[in-house]
Amino acid sequence: MPSDTLEAPADIRELSYAEAVREALGQAMEADERVFLFGEDVGVYGGAFGVSGDLVHRFGTERVIDTPISELGIAGAAVGAAITGMRPVLEIQFSDFVTLAMEQLVNQAAKIRFMFGGKASVPMVVRLPGGSGTGAAAQHSQSLEAWFAHVPGLKVLQPSTPHDAKGMLLAAIDDPNPVLIFEHKLLYKTKGHVPADAYRVPIGKAAIRREGTDLTIVGSSIMARKAEAAAERLAADGISAEVIDLRSIRPIDFSTIAESVRKTHRLMVVYEGVKTMGIGAEISAMIAESEVFDFLDAPIIRLGGADAPIPYNPVLEKAAVPQEDDIVAAATNLVRRGEA
Amino acid sequence: MPVEVILPKVDMDMETGTIETWHVREGDQVRQGDTIFEIGTNKAVMEVEAPATGAIRNIRAETGIAIAVGTPVAWIYLDGEAATDAPAPAVEAAPTATRLPSDIAVPEAAPVSAFATMPGLRATPLARRIARQNAIDLAAVAGTGPRGRIGEVDVRRHLERRPRGAQAQETPPASPMVAPSCEGRLQPFSAIRRIVASRLSQSMSTAPHFYLTSEIEMSAARDLLGRLAVRHERIGAPKPSLTVLIARVAARVLRDHPVINASAEGEATRFHDRVDIGIAMERDGDLVVPVLRDAGSMDMPAMAREFARLRDGMARRTLTPAELGGGTFTISNLGMYGVDSFTAIINPPQGAILAVGRTVDKPVGRGGQIVLRPIANLTLSSDHRIVDGVAAARFMADLREALESPEVLL
Repeated sequence: MPSDTLEAPADIRELSYAEAVREALGQAMEADERVFLFGEDVGVYGGAFGVSGDLVHRFGTERVIDTPISELGIAGAAVGAAITGMRPVLEIQFSDFVTLAMEQLVNQAAKIRFMFGGKASVPMVVRLPGGSGTGAAAQHSQSLEAWFAHVPGLKVLQPSTPHDAKGMLLAAIDDPNPVLIFEHKLLYKTKGHVPADAYRVPIGKAAIRREGTDLTIVGSSIMARKAEAAAERLAADGISAEVIDLRSIRPIDFSTIAESVRKTHRLMVVYEGVKTMGIGAEISAMIAESEVFDFLDAPIIRLGGADAPIPYNPVLEKAAVPQEDDIVAAATNLVRRGEA
Repeated sequence: MPVEVILPKVDMDMETGTIETWHVREGDQVRQGDTIFEIGTNKAVMEVEAPATGAIRNIRAETGIAIAVGTPVAWIYLDGEAATDAPAPAVEAAPTATRLPSDIAVPEAAPVSAFATMPGLRATPLARRIARQNAIDLAAVAGTGPRGRIGEVDVRRHLERRPRGAQAQETPPASPMVAPSCEGRLQPFSAIRRIVASRLSQSMSTAPHFYLTSEIEMSAARDLLGRLAVRHERIGAPKPSLTVLIARVAARVLRDHPVINASAEGEATRFHDRVDIGIAMERDGDLVVPVLRDAGSMDMPAMAREFARLRDGMARRTLTPAELGGGTFTISNLGMYGVDSFTAIINPPQGAILAVGRTVDKPVGRGGQIVLRPIANLTLSSDHRIVDGVAAARFMADLREALESPEVLL
């Protein structure tokens, strides 16, 4: 059974991804005065991608704070605020800039709970607009989620729909631990049904977006969307693809993937991050190590980003990450010819 | 550098090809463009030309087996290049080859059987799992995936094609996944048992068995064994058993019956130059078949010594895979357990197996009188694909004559 279908409910309430994130932020701030936002241009300007919008007018500059351009400083302030009882939600303007905040996120936020025996925790949320496709070149287009998924103590989410963007952000704000949410820039304008209430989408649970029998395609964020579109085309060609939207990279919902592969016998992992040493390697290895190994009828395939910085040239930029056509071609090859 | 001669892709969807005929032999001089072999696809036979001028060396592919496209099958040494020894072992057949593994209960080592060994076999984990559950030898399954890989679809197709009877015989061994009940104790197959199960199932399902039984008088054989025991003690050889004597006699008779000392290989009969007799033995509940190598050339003391060595080596687990496989004929003697007669399953790809029952005094007619004589039932199982009834009967007649007057032969 699809665990979270996109079936349209009777009363469709359509929001864009960016609006859904903003709605979650607003609802969280209304419900809990400890919640506050800060980041570069999140206030008056409304955010580089317009996500925070009018929140500064609704909640004031005490709770929606424009910061200096210092990611390390912002992240350190968030860690400190979280330890002392606040619920900071931090925006890293482009996820690429998170390299400057690594010390606070990896060495502080991720470890404090462990190093203090649970006496302190870091309930902070970091939102990171990422991904390629906007012509923003090598320093503004990366997909760095796998870096953080490698760090015990961090949770890493990649919602792909407006529905999940809102529900997972609310769940992340509730969470007593540091959570990083990578939001794909190309998804901000995509629309979908978003209920009005302050619902939660559980962290660590994948969604089966489409059921199928011939192969399992695992993706997250925009790749889940591309996989769904590819599956539609594959179906027209007689290939039944099951599409799993990971939603959460860490913790990862391995059992949903395993169950699916046990059924379809073929696995393809699609991700925008650099293919080498990426999420696909982890999922492939998990399957290969598990009892599901005996149910594989073809090599596991990874479609990942090129081993290169994202190019500025729009043709090359497109070629550097898996596209719908690539998914269709690879899936067809895998099912029809058994080739990786 | 010598020039590689590869098995070329001569057809669009060709994954494997079969060399029908070699037009050259090891060491022949060829000119570029000469036809060096013919390759068979499922549609046609094509000639393959020499890619260079020089001497053909290291031919490493036999005719008649399916070989993966792109596999080097020989090298051409240009003038002035010293031919070294073959740099590589024989070409492994692609899994489409229908050749059976040639021995029981051991990982194979002999180059002849290496064609069908697992390391060269491509199969997906799922295909292997289904094969395990259904006691299918993957060597007999044609793989249609890339480079001949066997996938689920290939194993399922193989299962469907299997005769109904064979399916009944090859009911999946109870595995934890499909156990019908929790009664009793479930013991997974040992490695040897898995191989025995798979080989013998395959033998029964692919080799049409027929059986000929002869009641043979063992007076002279028994008498000879008594005298040999004395002689062997004098010369320090182990006391010969009836099994050894029968192996000795059978080895001699087999020399006159090449069709019995033969193996089925796909759609061909391999006549063996040497008589290698496997003796079925039991070790810790497992069936193992050590082989009396070149049994046809041994005298009784030599065979008794070799038999004793194999038996001890088996018990101590010091025998090499080569000593445990690759026979050309097998003898199974259950007489010591009081079995009167039985039929044995052929040890593939051999053509026949001899089942020996106990020797017991029975009333028989001799010169118009009923007298007691020691009688044993010997039953030959033959693979009807390569052995006909008359050929098997002739062998049994000669075997009877030889066992009833062994001294004439020995």
